[in-house]
Amino acid sequence: MTSGAAVVLDALAREGVEIVFGYPGGAIMPLYDALYEHSVRHILTRHEAAAAFAASGYARTTGKVGVCCATSGPGATNLVTGLLDAMMDSVPVVAITGQVRSELMGTDGFQEADVCAITQSATKWNVLVTDPAKITSTIAEAFAVARSGRPGPVLVDIPNDVFKAKIDHVEFTPRVFAIAAPPPVVSETAVRDAVARIRAARRPVAIIGGGVRAGHAVDAYRTLVAMLGIPHACTINAIGAGSPGDPHDLGMLGMHGHKRANIAVQRADLLLALGMRFDDRVTGRPDRFAREAAVIHADIDATEFGKIVKADVALHGDLTTTLGALIDELARGHVPRFDDWATEARLLGGSLPSDRVADGVLSATDVLDRIFAALPDDAIVTTDVGQHQMWAAQRARPQHPRSFATSAGLGAMGFGFPAAIGAQFANPHRPVYVIVGDGGFQMSLPELATLRRYDVPVKIVLVDNQNLGMVRQWQELFFSERYSATNLADNPDFAAIAEAYGIPAFRLRSPDEADATIAKFIAARGPALLHCACHPTENVWPMIPAGMTVDELMEAKA
Amino acid sequence: MTCELTLRDPRSIARIINLAHRFTCRCTRIDAVANEESTSASLAFSGNPGALARLRAQIDRIIAVEGVPDERTDLQA
Repeated sequence: MTSGAAVVLDALAREGVEIVFGYPGGAIMPLYDALYEHSVRHILTRHEAAAAFAASGYARTTGKVGVCCATSGPGATNLVTGLLDAMMDSVPVVAITGQVRSELMGTDGFQEADVCAITQSATKWNVLVTDPAKITSTIAEAFAVARSGRPGPVLVDIPNDVFKAKIDHVEFTPRVFAIAAPPPVVSETAVRDAVARIRAARRPVAIIGGGVRAGHAVDAYRTLVAMLGIPHACTINAIGAGSPGDPHDLGMLGMHGHKRANIAVQRADLLLALGMRFDDRVTGRPDRFAREAAVIHADIDATEFGKIVKADVALHGDLTTTLGALIDELARGHVPRFDDWATEARLLGGSLPSDRVADGVLSATDVLDRIFAALPDDAIVTTDVGQHQMWAAQRARPQHPRSFATSAGLGAMGFGFPAAIGAQFANPHRPVYVIVGDGGFQMSLPELATLRRYDVPVKIVLVDNQNLGMVRQWQELFFSERYSATNLADNPDFAAIAEAYGIPAFRLRSPDEADATIAKFIAARGPALLHCACHPTENVWPMIPAGMTVDELMEAKA
Repeated sequence: MTCELTLRDPRSIARIINLAHRFTCRCTRIDAVANEESTSASLAFSGNPGALARLRAQIDRIIAVEGVPDERTDLQA
C-alpha cells in the first residue's frame, strides 16, 4: 500500500523530474510529507509566483518540463501569472496544486478555489484528479500534453483526500488524445512552392521566433540560413538561436528592435517566418508590415497561419522536419545566395541610438554594454520586464541557444529573478545572470532568501533608475509628461537589503568605477548583487510606437 | 458559423462559449450530449467576420488538445 502523494512523486520521477519548485500549505501537506523522504528534490521559493517562474526558467533553459507546486486557494491562484506566462511563450510547465478535501468542494471551504475554472485559459490543459487510481496516468498525460506539439503549461489539481488515499494498485492507461499524436507532416507541395519562391526572391529575410527553440530546430535553422546567405532577424524569444558571430544576423526586430532588422523586413520581397506568431510588438501595424513581401510561414500550430499576417505558403509541421524538407528540396536544384543583399541589410540603420550624456551619472545602456562585453561565453541571462529587458535584448549575443530567457508574450514583471534561480538549478555548472529593474526586483525580493538558503550562485544586475522606466518613457512621449505612479525615488537601499539576506552587494554609482566594479562582481564566488544607480530618464531607442511601422521609427524624443 | 465537435472534456464547450463572449460573438445554438469518454456538441455563433475568424482559430486550438481522434469535427463559416 502506498499513498496518493507518493504515487504523484513516483509519477513525476518516472517523467524524469528531479526538482520541483514550490511552497507548502494545508491542502498539499500530504505531498510535502511524501517529499520528506523522496528522491524528487523540492526547492522552497518564498512565493508561489516565484515557483512558477522558476519552473519556467528551468524549462526555458533546458527544453525539459519545469514543475511547480502549491497549495489550494491562494497558493494556486498565485501560480496563475506564471502559468499564463508559460502559455504565451509556449513553455512546458506542469503545476501540481493541492485542493480541499472532495467533500468540501463547493462549500466555500477554507482555502477553496475552483482552480481548474480559473486556469482554463491560462493552461494548455488542466485536470482535477478525483480517483486515486488514476493519478499515475493523469500525470503521464499532463507531461505528454505539456511537451507535445506546441508546448505549454498543464495544471493537475489534486484534492487532499486523494493525496491521502491508500492505493494498492496503480492504474497506468494514458488515453489516446489528439495532441500526443505524431506532428503533422509538412506538405511536399507547399515545400516545393516555398523553395520556388526562395529561388525567385531578390530580397528575402528570415524571421525566427521561439518556435525554433521550442521545436529543437536551431541546428536546422542555422544550416538553412548559412546555405542561403540570407539575412535573418529574430523575435525576443529566439535570441541566441543564430550562429555566434553570423554576419547576416540582424538581431531582434520589432518595437525596440534594431533599425536594420526592421528596415530589412520592410524592404523584403519574401519573408520566411519560422516558428513566430507576428506579435503586435513585432508587426506594429499588420496591414503595413512588410508590404512588398510574400510570406512563407512555418509553424506547428496551424491556428497561427493568417491569424495576423496572411501566409502565401503555410508550412504546417514540426519545424525541424519542415526546415529539413526545405533544405533537401533546395539541394535538389539551384541554391540561391543572398550575400549581397545580406551585406546591404546589415548596413541599414547604423548603430543603436541612445540618450547618453556625459553628466557623470551612470547610463544604463553604458553599464549593460560593459556587462555583456565582460560576460563569460557560457553565461545564461534572464531578464525582468521593462526598459532593461529591451536594452538587454538589443545587446545580448549568447553563444548558445536557450541562454536568454525573458517573459516575452505576457511581459510579467517579477519573472526575471526567480527564472534565473530555476535556470541555475537546471544548469548548475554555468554562470547565470539576471538583469532586473528596480520595479521588478521589488516584486521578487523575497527570493533573496531562496538564493541564500540554497547558495544559488545567481548574479543579480540591478538597473535602478528609480522609475518604472518603460511606463515613464511612454508617459514622457505619449502622455504629455504626466508622470503618474512611476516615480520610485523612495526606493530602499537594495544593497543593504541584499546584505541583510547574506548576499554580497557591489555598489556602482559612476562611469569611472564601472569596469573595475563589474570585474569584481563577475569574479565574486556565489550569489552577488550589482546595484547600478542609473540615470532616471534614459529611454529605450529606437522605438516604433505601438500600432505604427518602421516608417515612424523614433531614434530620439521628437 | 456552425460547429460540430466531439471533445474529450465537456468543460471545453463552456470555454468555447466564454471565448465567443470575449470576442463579442453571440452563441445562438448549444446542443450537447456527454457520455463517459467524450462530448458531442453542435454550436452556432453569430458576429462580425473578424470576430468569428478569431473564435474559429481558438476553437481549432482547443480541438488540437481536446479533439477525439477519428471523430467528426466540422466548422462551417
